[in-house]
Amino acid sequence: MRTLSLVGPGTADLLDPLAARLDGRVATVRRDDGIPTGTETGEDAADTDYRLGDDGAWTAAGTDDSFDDVLDRLAPDYDYALVTGFSRLRLPTVVVGDEAVPGDEIRRAADASDLSLDDLVDAVETAEPHVTLEALVDEAKASEYADRSGAIATFTGRVRAKDDADDERTEVLEFEKYEGVAADRMARIERELEAREGVFDVRMHHRVGVVADGEDIVFVVVLAGHRTEAFRTVEDGINRLKDEVPIFKKETTEADEFWVHERSQ
Amino acid sequence: MNWKLFADLAEATGESEPEVDAADAATVGEALDALLDAHPALAARVLDDDGDLRGHINLLRNGRDIREGEGLATPVDEDDELALFPPVSGG
Repeated sequence: MRTLSLVGPGTADLLDPLAARLDGRVATVRRDDGIPTGTETGEDAADTDYRLGDDGAWTAAGTDDSFDDVLDRLAPDYDYALVTGFSRLRLPTVVVGDEAVPGDEIRRAADASDLSLDDLVDAVETAEPHVTLEALVDEAKASEYADRSGAIATFTGRVRAKDDADDERTEVLEFEKYEGVAADRMARIERELEAREGVFDVRMHHRVGVVADGEDIVFVVVLAGHRTEAFRTVEDGINRLKDEVPIFKKETTEADEFWVHERSQ
Repeated sequence: MNWKLFADLAEATGESEPEVDAADAATVGEALDALLDAHPALAARVLDDDGDLRGHINLLRNGRDIREGEGLATPVDEDDELALFPPVSGG
């Protein structure tokens, strides 16, 4: 799912015109600080209330979603998520005004009228996509060989705060990748693993930019006939990715900052 | 010759895509010499005491490892992309 966050005065009005310019399923997410706690569901009722029609029309209300949760939940089902009023680490963000944002600032303008729709379309189409494990699993299940698959194995690599209990905490890892060559090598690994007997679909994704303690970094998904080849292939997949794909990791702990390859030689 | 540097090599050079005048370089080795002449801080990181490329340093020409080709004697064209990077550390 490709994402774009727009932050600052006047940006909410850009969401609908921008959505109309995109091909595919588009979700919009707006900040609304006026929703009272317990809305719809009532203080003592369920935490989430879905209303679903026969034609697939639905509304929902709830009390306990974070912005991260919403973005992850949209990722398997939408091609685009357009957001106003929220930013987060790695989220491509266009800012109007002088607000500081945690996301990747890709444009900044003094006034919303300075932004062109063509430029925003280009920004959303070229930005790094938001990929989740669930999205990759859904894509694997859509394989033409899904009828012959009885197993999906997945690997998730995440930021480990401490290797030993006494270690200083790792706060963030920052990943840099050799664009193009990294994608080619990942595609080659996927292709070679898919050539194995009983392995039908292999998908990998590695996040780049700043990834915080506890967040996911890398996913490998294998759709296979049986569990044995699924487990073997998912292990070989992550091992080959770590050995062969040009991605570089800088670690920031409570006290230090260093390139990981310089500590592990 | 378009050079791309990564991780500590980009930091040591101060830029990730340094402009190097190496139009007359015929081999990867000559292009590397021109890069290191322009950015001497890089030399100690990528060359050993004998002046050979360190074993853990990767040099790619158009996405392909030069060690799979003719090493530093691999021929280059003016519009080739050359990449220099330390051991990979993804995941």
